[in-house]
Amino acid sequence: MTSIIDSPLAALRRPAMGLVRLGMVLGAVGALSQLLPFIFIARLGELLLAGSSQDRAALAGLGALVVAGLFIGWAANGAALWLTHIADHRIQADVRRALVAKLGRVPLGWYAENTTGAVRKAVQGDLEDLHHMVAHHYVDLTAAIALPLGGIAYLVWLDWRLALLAVASFPIYALAYGWMMRGFGAKMAQLDASFAQVNTAIVEFVHGIAVVKGFGRAGEAHSAYRAAVDGFSQRYAGWVRPLLRLEALTSMALSVPVILLVSLSGGAWLLADGQIAPMDLLAEIMVAVILPQSLLTLNQGLMAERKAAAAASRIDTLLRTPELPAAVHPRLPRDATICFNNVSFQYPDGATALSGIDLYCRPGTVTALVGPSGAGKSTLAKLAARFHDVSGGVVRIGGIDVRDIAGEALYRHVGFVLQEVGLLHGSIADNIRLGRPESPMAAVMAAARAAQIHDRIQQLPQGYDSIIGAGAQLSGGEAQRLSIARALLADTPILILDEATAHADPDSEARIQDALSAAARGRTVLVIAHRLSSIAGADQIVVMRDGTIAECGRHGALLASGGLYAALWQAEQGEPAC
Amino acid sequence: MLIADLLKILGPQRRGALYRYFAWLLAYGVLEGLAVTLLVPVLRALLAQPLDMGALTGWLLALGGVVLCCCIARYQQSMQGFNLALVVLTSLHRRLGDHVATLPLGWFSGERIGRLSQSATNGTLMVTNIFAHLLTPVVTGLVTPCIIALAMLIFDWRLGLCALLSAPLILLAHRRASAAIGRTEEAVDHAAAQAGSRVVEFARQQPALRAFGQALGSYPPLEAAITAQKQAGGSMLDQTFPRLFASGLAVQLAFLALILTGLALAASGAADPAGLVALLVLAARFAGPLTETAARSGLLRMAGNDLRRLAAIFDEKPLPEPAEPARMDQPGSIAFDEVHFGYDPAQPVLRGLSFQVPSGSMVAIVGASGAGKSTIIRLIMRFFDVQAGAVRVGGADVREVATADLMAAIATVTQDVYLFDGTLEQAVRLGRADATEAELRHAADLAGVTEIVARLPQGWQTRVGEGGALLSGGERQRVSVARALLKQAPILLLDEATAALDPENERYVQRSIAALRGRATVLVIAHRLRTVSMADRILVLADGHVAEAGSHAELMQAGGAYAAFWHERQRAEGWRLLPRDQPMAPARDQPSP
Repeated sequence: MTSIIDSPLAALRRPAMGLVRLGMVLGAVGALSQLLPFIFIARLGELLLAGSSQDRAALAGLGALVVAGLFIGWAANGAALWLTHIADHRIQADVRRALVAKLGRVPLGWYAENTTGAVRKAVQGDLEDLHHMVAHHYVDLTAAIALPLGGIAYLVWLDWRLALLAVASFPIYALAYGWMMRGFGAKMAQLDASFAQVNTAIVEFVHGIAVVKGFGRAGEAHSAYRAAVDGFSQRYAGWVRPLLRLEALTSMALSVPVILLVSLSGGAWLLADGQIAPMDLLAEIMVAVILPQSLLTLNQGLMAERKAAAAASRIDTLLRTPELPAAVHPRLPRDATICFNNVSFQYPDGATALSGIDLYCRPGTVTALVGPSGAGKSTLAKLAARFHDVSGGVVRIGGIDVRDIAGEALYRHVGFVLQEVGLLHGSIADNIRLGRPESPMAAVMAAARAAQIHDRIQQLPQGYDSIIGAGAQLSGGEAQRLSIARALLADTPILILDEATAHADPDSEARIQDALSAAARGRTVLVIAHRLSSIAGADQIVVMRDGTIAECGRHGALLASGGLYAALWQAEQGEPAC
Repeated sequence: MLIADLLKILGPQRRGALYRYFAWLLAYGVLEGLAVTLLVPVLRALLAQPLDMGALTGWLLALGGVVLCCCIARYQQSMQGFNLALVVLTSLHRRLGDHVATLPLGWFSGERIGRLSQSATNGTLMVTNIFAHLLTPVVTGLVTPCIIALAMLIFDWRLGLCALLSAPLILLAHRRASAAIGRTEEAVDHAAAQAGSRVVEFARQQPALRAFGQALGSYPPLEAAITAQKQAGGSMLDQTFPRLFASGLAVQLAFLALILTGLALAASGAADPAGLVALLVLAARFAGPLTETAARSGLLRMAGNDLRRLAAIFDEKPLPEPAEPARMDQPGSIAFDEVHFGYDPAQPVLRGLSFQVPSGSMVAIVGASGAGKSTIIRLIMRFFDVQAGAVRVGGADVREVATADLMAAIATVTQDVYLFDGTLEQAVRLGRADATEAELRHAADLAGVTEIVARLPQGWQTRVGEGGALLSGGERQRVSVARALLKQAPILLLDEATAALDPENERYVQRSIAALRGRATVLVIAHRLRTVSMADRILVLADGHVAEAGSHAELMQAGGAYAAFWHERQRAEGWRLLPRDQPMAPARDQPSP
């Protein structure tokens, strides 16, 4: 495991750790001052039994000390926890922001390997788990050390036999505890892993509920959820069940009645023997009863502390995830060209997606990517927007390597109409404004009109202010038109579009196509085409196969050459639209 | 309230176990109080000058007896608490899953989904923790001081009165603190659920956010949600800590009052010194547990909130199931009879829709966006109940058919394809787990999954990712067609909108429909003219009812809405992406049809 000192999480926590340390000091003061009232009550008792109850000044003095101990303890304990909670509060917000910032910078490929359940767990669940460590654990631990040490030291000072008497029943539980905690770390790691599966299963189950319903309870979907859930609960129950009886039996050793019985009977024997003074026994009883408390608090927090430690290491791992490297000396694209130079790309698992791609798109021209499913069309298009970094070669926008263009500048140049629309929870207007949050309403409406979606938005009760999902239920095609409006408003000189979007909403296919034509005008367009007839007029048609460019040219030339394109064209023409 | 929520979560058959547990817990609290009370006579005997060995032995034996009872009660309540915790851990997720699966689909909004995941994950652990760690200290921490206060009343009425009088003050301060915790925790939890949904959205929509430059800087809605969460947390601290201080103070003041009363009694010589000393020790045991309880009751309150949110999910009513399910004696038929329905009853989508689909026929539904086409499919599957009229499947009203029977009769390909993470094979086999290898291959061939399998290095064992995210949109749809085919249900409901992303997919869908013709009833929301023309009968939907119905030839001849639709669609399918300021040169290269 990497050192916790130089971990990104530790760095984020550092500014607030001063508060935590102060909290620990106060926690120690609070724990020790808990002993004071008992010590002074015993002295008070001495005074009373000695028959000097008329010595009012001495009584008042001891009474004042009891009260002082009481109030110092109260104030110190409260303040300690307040400080650590404030520290936790600050750390949570900082770490959450850092995590989100990380999510925006990791390569998109990272999302293929990490489910949204895991992301939610990292940014919400893990942070909440961290709460225990910062807000409670350090103070609990300090108190659990200070209180027994202080208490035992005081008793030893009174009489070593009293100290032994006070902890006489401890070994029973300590032995049992040691036995129960065998392999605790490994067990907890297993449990964590299986609970993470439960998390993912829940997210899946809930999102796939329509499928669960559609395929009935016997369906595999529901059973995947059940398997994860049962796996977790059986593992957990299997581990703790045999320990419960032992825990229930031995934890009695630390309970108040048992400690009282031990102290009183042992004390009576010592007292009868004349070995100790009655008031020392009184002090022992009161101290012995509270000694286990701080240990029990620590033990009750053990699970939470383990969870927090695991959460911290997951947060650290996420914060260490390599980002798409930012441009060191950012440069601006010079024009609206796209150029792929001997580009290759491999998936994280090593499978080759693209190899030896050379392609140049002149400003203001339409380039169509065609080819069978899985030929690499989408992957190629996404490299232009630096969704991933190439494995070899260079992608240039406006003559500049995309890796040397600052993120913002790149997205001012390259716009997207994706197959997956990506509507966000928010108003329709804000969704259209995504790329240009500062756009005035008039511009938003103009873009919506051009994308043929304005009329539909006007029909909604709250118009452009309707909230996606709540007031506005858009069909797939309507959502597509919204995403076209988004791209139109972003008004980038380069536009990458997935032509399949046009076909997702056959009801308004003609209108979407008009909108796309409007969007294409005057821009450099890279279109992922599914119907050859749609792009027969493109300036350049790139025919892809198995991650390479098989053919490239204009419709007529490609047809004449009788290659793959001609075959695809024949196939499509042979299956007429009706 | 806590008990009622616990009962809902544990299920009715655990009622007895829960009450038994509480009885033992109370008994333990009382017995612990008695054991502590015995301190007084034991200490009196110890402090007596000279030592009264006879009385001491007697009282120690009595204490021994009570402590033995304590141990028995403690053992019982621990074991029963642990067992209940295990019941929660082993059965809650399952019960929750089973319950949620019966809820109408209309229940699942984005926010509810976020809340459900949160409750299901954190809630379970919290409930477990209630039994394992929280209830025992809180209940004994309250019961023991009560017993001690009563005992004091017997030993010395002035000290007892003092303890009893401070009780309302302590209780009030506790209540104010835990009420503030409960209240602000609701706000914190709400803010956390919101921020959680935002984070998931931020993660899910990375492609769109990046394409529009919103991922690198701060994405304002997420930033706002995080700020709101921070503020909620901050206001929780501001509101609860002073109250927690006050509640701690109340206990310390009660202790102080007891000591001062004791000292006053001593100073005036109104009490015997040994008895007084013993009572001061008792006073310490009165205040100690209350301080502990004050610290823990906030946690219990927070756990109680979790509990209530979980219980609220169990309170959601499923669509009513028939007591005596009707049999579907005309397998494959579908009928809508004067159906009225709106997601919001004030905005009806279907207004008196009636149509019949005979068994084994193929019917295509066409109509504009928002005409209610997808709603028809949802009503057949009984995602919602109609507001008037009836939907019949297999001759029986869907409300009178057992859900399992209804689902067994229908296979669907809907707009929102969701695949569970697993292998490609598992995704298709979801249709029917016991399908033979040959049946699997056949469905895969028809739907074009075989082509995907052949292309991917790991073939059938390729992972599809959460929701099918590792597949392209077209591939996901083919998988969903294949799993619907594999189900071999008497009825196939198909929304072609998403199934026809490109010509390749379109061909696979049409092949699949063709293979099913005559063997199953096919109801398709059709978009492709070719699909429409395959249908035995076409329904044109407008304004929530059937505007026209008939075969393609009949409707074309009628020259109504359908004919208009047909011509418009033909124009669209002949479209080309071409900037208008470009010369139309390539068009000349096209072979004339």
